[in-house]
Amino acid sequence: MLQVEGLAKRYGEVLGLRDLTVKVDEGECLVLLGRNGAGKTTALRCMAGVLLPSAGTVRVDGINAADDPAAVRALVGLMPEVPGLYERMSARAYLDHFGAIYGLEPLLRRRRIDELLETFELTDAGDRWLGTFSKGMRQKVALIRATLHRPRLVLADEPTSALDPDSARRAWIYLKDLQKDGCGLVICTHSMEEAEHMAGEIGIMSDGRALAVGSLDKLRRRSGLKRRRVMRELPTLQDIYLSIVGNLGSNHDGLAETRTA
Amino acid sequence: MGWPKLERRKAAIVARRDLRDAVSELRLIAAMVALTLAIPIASASGVRALAAFGGGTAVVNRLSLVGAFFVVFIPASFSLVLALESFVGERERTTLEVLLSTPLREAEIYAGKVAAVLAVSLSLCYGGLLVYCLITFPGLGYFPLGILVALALSTICQVAAMVAGAVIISINARTMRAANVMASFIILPMSVVLQIEAALILVGRAEFLWGFALLMAVAAVVFLRMGFNGFSREALLARDAGLRQPWRRALTAVRRSFDQRPSLLRLVWARRVPMVIATAGLPAGAFAGYLAGSTNVIPASVVKPVLTSLVRSTDTGNAVEEALAIFSHNVLAFILVAALAILTAGLSGFLLTFAPGFILGFVAALSSWAFALSGIVPNGLVEIPAAIIAGGLAIQIGATAIHMDARGGWTARVLGAVADYVRALRWLVPALAVASVLEVFLG
Repeated sequence: MLQVEGLAKRYGEVLGLRDLTVKVDEGECLVLLGRNGAGKTTALRCMAGVLLPSAGTVRVDGINAADDPAAVRALVGLMPEVPGLYERMSARAYLDHFGAIYGLEPLLRRRRIDELLETFELTDAGDRWLGTFSKGMRQKVALIRATLHRPRLVLADEPTSALDPDSARRAWIYLKDLQKDGCGLVICTHSMEEAEHMAGEIGIMSDGRALAVGSLDKLRRRSGLKRRRVMRELPTLQDIYLSIVGNLGSNHDGLAETRTA
Repeated sequence: MGWPKLERRKAAIVARRDLRDAVSELRLIAAMVALTLAIPIASASGVRALAAFGGGTAVVNRLSLVGAFFVVFIPASFSLVLALESFVGERERTTLEVLLSTPLREAEIYAGKVAAVLAVSLSLCYGGLLVYCLITFPGLGYFPLGILVALALSTICQVAAMVAGAVIISINARTMRAANVMASFIILPMSVVLQIEAALILVGRAEFLWGFALLMAVAAVVFLRMGFNGFSREALLARDAGLRQPWRRALTAVRRSFDQRPSLLRLVWARRVPMVIATAGLPAGAFAGYLAGSTNVIPASVVKPVLTSLVRSTDTGNAVEEALAIFSHNVLAFILVAALAILTAGLSGFLLTFAPGFILGFVAALSSWAFALSGIVPNGLVEIPAAIIAGGLAIQIGATAIHMDARGGWTARVLGAVADYVRALRWLVPALAVASVLEVFLG
């Protein structure tokens, strides 16, 4: 569904992204982890056909984003980190506006909007101006907007960062349901819990590069971290992440991790 | 280069949302009502009162036109605020990023937003004008339809130019604060344009206003086209990175602009189109000057003192000083032409050959071609090619300045064009020195 090969993006003199190669099949989820400025947002924008690659290719359902970016954007639902809602519009009117942009028929979009507002417990707030919404509510509306047209691929930049645990869990369930329907997911997050919960594959990025891409088990093997001494638990994704980006101390959070020789 | 493809339905969706947003704020609605009703009513009442209390017909007629200009001008200026809000405001609030992530093409977003701003601003302008006309003219025995239509047309163009200017600002400003500062680049030239329009209205001749409206229409098309070319996802989203160390970057950009520039002959060949335009300026100017002189459109009594004072300013009695004076005048003209090229879209470059041609033609009309040509030989053999090269390169600077590219790089392109000009001066300045010596010692 999504094939990214040797993707690079240059902003003037700055190389924002270099040589990224990842693949997401139908119903799969790729989670991108990395520090701020690691290139995750740039990667999402390129995958969404919003920015054109400086080098490499992005294909969504076989369509090259450089050849037909508008067709790629129609197949994709992008949820940016900042919801970017129109303050003086009600949630319903706002979603209806974007439904119309994606070419959904009025009756269909009304039905979907009602369903999704109910899923995210926003039915009662649906006719209120978005300017009166809390941060979490805005994020929910942004997620609904990105998925309203049932995209083939959802690209979400920190989709649950402003949500309370219960709402976050609800959002994960919703995204998992989309996955079951064959939708591919690419999620950027700083939440290790979210990453472990959602990911089939995990990409760890730093300075515009993918340092490692693979399943949790594969990354665990690659990190060379042994089981924790205390409780004999497997190293968590947090441990693996810190190990790969090179910030892991020998005694982190009181847990004595050791590298294999 | 043709106009971009767009689906009207999609542009209409964008326009509808923007319109809805513009009229959803109470303060804005209050301002609209005040502008559309209160100011025209007050202005019209003033004119009617003057007519009723014995103002002379000529004064009342002129004042009625100035009132119409006043009524239209205020809501037209309002379009800049609306456009900045629509483009930069959306960018600042990150709602533009969301819009850019949809399947909408840039052309559809641009057209929708421009249409919304035009609709609001022109409704205000024409609403106000209608109210004003309905109160002012009945019973006055004077209805200058031609002038009012020309005024209405030039208003569309002014609003369109301001909207396009706002788009160009939106590409370079990420906050409304920065945009408001940069808006001066639109407000200042626009205030000059409005003063010219006001003067033409006072003159009261419809054909002048029609000519002005036509010029404004051309400017509006150029600006709208520039705005569209610059309005791209890449330009709006990709420039958030790499903005540290602005001075170092500026110096690097200037240094880089001088690297690997072509030699003078290659440059002249590479810029052959502007060179041809600059070359055409000389005969065109000569023709216009000859026409002006022979038909007495510009009376000789006006031009002769100017020419005499121009000649006297270099005539110091000392040949070396005279040559130096001619040389410094010409160098100054070359520098000014380049400096003004960006602001005048290269017109200054054309004038560099057109203006001497005009004087030549004018002198020929008053005397003969042989006499006129004898005045520019032999120095003209060096000076004219130098002026053509400088004029062509200045036209290139202007053309580069008004060319927006979706991939960005405006600064680098303009710096490159300026660097070409500066490098060419290495040859042109000595040529001017030779020409001034020839003019003084052999002319």
